[in-house]
Amino acid sequence: MKALLKKSFTVLLTVGLAGSIAACSSQGTPSEESGSDSITLKLWDQSVGNTDPSAKLLPQIIEKWNNEHPDIQIERTGTTGEQYKTKIKTALAGGEAPDIFYGMGGGSFMQPFIESGNVLEITSYVNDDIKSRMGAGMAEAIETDGKIYTLPVYTHIANLYVNTELFEKAGAKLPETYAELLDAVEKLKAAGITPALIGEKDRWPGMYWYDLIAMRQAGNEAVIEAFKDPSKWDSPEFVAAAAKLQELAKMGAFNSSMFSMSYDEMLGAFNAGNGAMMVQANWVNAGIEDPSSAVKGKVKVIPFPVFEDGKGDKTEIFGGAVDGFYVSKTTKHPEAAVEFLKYLSEQLGTQGYLAGAGLPSWKTDGLDTSGLSTLDQSSAEIMQSATSFIAWWDNILPAESAEAHKNLIAQLLAQDITPEGFSKQMAQLKPTELKL
Amino acid sequence: MNSVFSNKTAIAIFVLPTLLIFCAIVLIPIVVSSYYSVLDWNGIGKGTFIGLDNFTEMFTDSRALNAIKNSLLFAGASIFIQLPFSLLLALILASTVKGEGFYRTVYFIPVLISTVVIAQLWSKIYNADYGLLNTLLVNMGLSNLAQDWLGQKQTALIASFIPILWQYVGYHMLLMYAGAKSISQDIFEAAKIDGASRIRTALSITIPLMKPILKVCLVFSVIGAFKVFDLIYVLTGGGPFFTTEVPSTLMYTTIFDTYRYGYGSAISVFIILECLVFTLLINKLIKTD
Repeated sequence: MKALLKKSFTVLLTVGLAGSIAACSSQGTPSEESGSDSITLKLWDQSVGNTDPSAKLLPQIIEKWNNEHPDIQIERTGTTGEQYKTKIKTALAGGEAPDIFYGMGGGSFMQPFIESGNVLEITSYVNDDIKSRMGAGMAEAIETDGKIYTLPVYTHIANLYVNTELFEKAGAKLPETYAELLDAVEKLKAAGITPALIGEKDRWPGMYWYDLIAMRQAGNEAVIEAFKDPSKWDSPEFVAAAAKLQELAKMGAFNSSMFSMSYDEMLGAFNAGNGAMMVQANWVNAGIEDPSSAVKGKVKVIPFPVFEDGKGDKTEIFGGAVDGFYVSKTTKHPEAAVEFLKYLSEQLGTQGYLAGAGLPSWKTDGLDTSGLSTLDQSSAEIMQSATSFIAWWDNILPAESAEAHKNLIAQLLAQDITPEGFSKQMAQLKPTELKL
Repeated sequence: MNSVFSNKTAIAIFVLPTLLIFCAIVLIPIVVSSYYSVLDWNGIGKGTFIGLDNFTEMFTDSRALNAIKNSLLFAGASIFIQLPFSLLLALILASTVKGEGFYRTVYFIPVLISTVVIAQLWSKIYNADYGLLNTLLVNMGLSNLAQDWLGQKQTALIASFIPILWQYVGYHMLLMYAGAKSISQDIFEAAKIDGASRIRTALSITIPLMKPILKVCLVFSVIGAFKVFDLIYVLTGGGPFFTTEVPSTLMYTTIFDTYRYGYGSAISVFIILECLVFTLLINKLIKTD
């Protein structure tokens, strides 16, 4: 008996030790009414970064609202990027979501929660007056199957960031075509400068390169077709795009340490002047223009080069995903929450644009844009020239296919797979669940 | 006092609160995870029952098999590199060297530092562009050996094992040190009178008498190897190309990046079973009274 007891105790202890990683506890209490006529709404967001202008604006906007609305008080919790994703997913799945929360835009992140009814539909709250205050195309962009769940805040688009000082040092021209890009890579290499930086440890920075190359090679229309019918990924255009990325990698266009470099380290290296090019979206503008950056004032943002043999044009833009806030279905005060959502989205969208957080999703007439950095102004100009948008591919593809897509590109960069093999595997992906 | 401890009801009452907490945060999640592991479920909405398909997939998926292989390799490295090293340190420290307390503290410091901090520290050591290791190699005239330690398939796995092995050497050392110290001095004196050398004493007296604590160390280090997560996650995130992936990081990416709660739960159930089986095995192999 004693031996059995001892044994079962050992087993229990082991289960406990091992189980501590299986256990996934969640905390959080549903919003409670404080006082009889005043309600408290919980807001979760991911704006906590040092150089993130939203991180400074959000508390100000919330404070102003709280002062003007003593009956509806907002309580904010900020969590950093990747951890935020895990946190909000767990909370939504557990039915303990806050009243209002930030959702990564444009597709597969929010899609499962919208489908399973965790998010409040706000179509009836969005009248023409609000729609008329939004930027062009935004009212359509926020619709999912004809229904509205979110309001836009910012827009982000990805372009080529070039360090003009390093280009001058190497005697290279800012590339407008693929031939010029290859030429610039050669000259930068000859001058002992790392031509381009990729933080491939996180895999999505490398994806931006392939996705842009593919859009330039095949054109946005063909890409959209392929999202709907994946067998089209295995066509000559996409093979050629993969070959081009591999060609760049083979000739040493990217930093040799890319597979151990994270996104943050990539930004750090670029801001320290350790690389001449980077493909990123305008959320990096504020960091580049920060006084702590060694490349402040030396960086230009230009459209990704066009290809002599490609169908894509430089007005076909990678990005345009609408990031916004959502209201939880479980909120006890849907009306108050939507009221705040409207206020927050417009205030953050316009003030954030002026502070350099992102491109505006709201009309900016009458706003003083003279304080904007040149990077923000150039980004805004590129966006205004747009003829079509394709959002981040890892948001358009279903979650599992998005992971496969990113892993395939990493293999391509490491010369582990041929362009043909890459395209064959791309054809195995699942079609997008979104309406494009 | 003795009468209280022999009173069964009193024991039950005293044990109950801890037992309840243990059940609530450990046993119940395990049972729930086991239930999820037989579902095809995306974490929200309704799951469909698919029997043992998740487990079949795990044992046919090369990525999962590689993760399991890595964790076994790591367990092997813990047993054959980490533990002997800890034992050596413990024996040296226990044989009353000068500055015993100082060394004991120094070796134990890595255990006290958060794993995430350790991972950040080592990722700076390994950094290909400005890392300590590469700088050292270049300054020694071995610049052809300088490389992207965490970014290459050949070196990433070993490079990510070393910090974990290093971190817990102090932990096992302290356990073993306590074990060695608790052996009665009379025995050592007798050995000394018989003319036994220090090495002889260690091999024939200290180590055999430390058997119970060695078994504990063995269990802890094997279980620790199977459930290692944080250091790998921060250091490499399982990359490049899944070469450093272990079951727990695979479980995390499966659940949070691809929304496959069912498959992820199957992996977590596997980790628990793996730990259980090896603990029982070690208990069977090393019999102590």
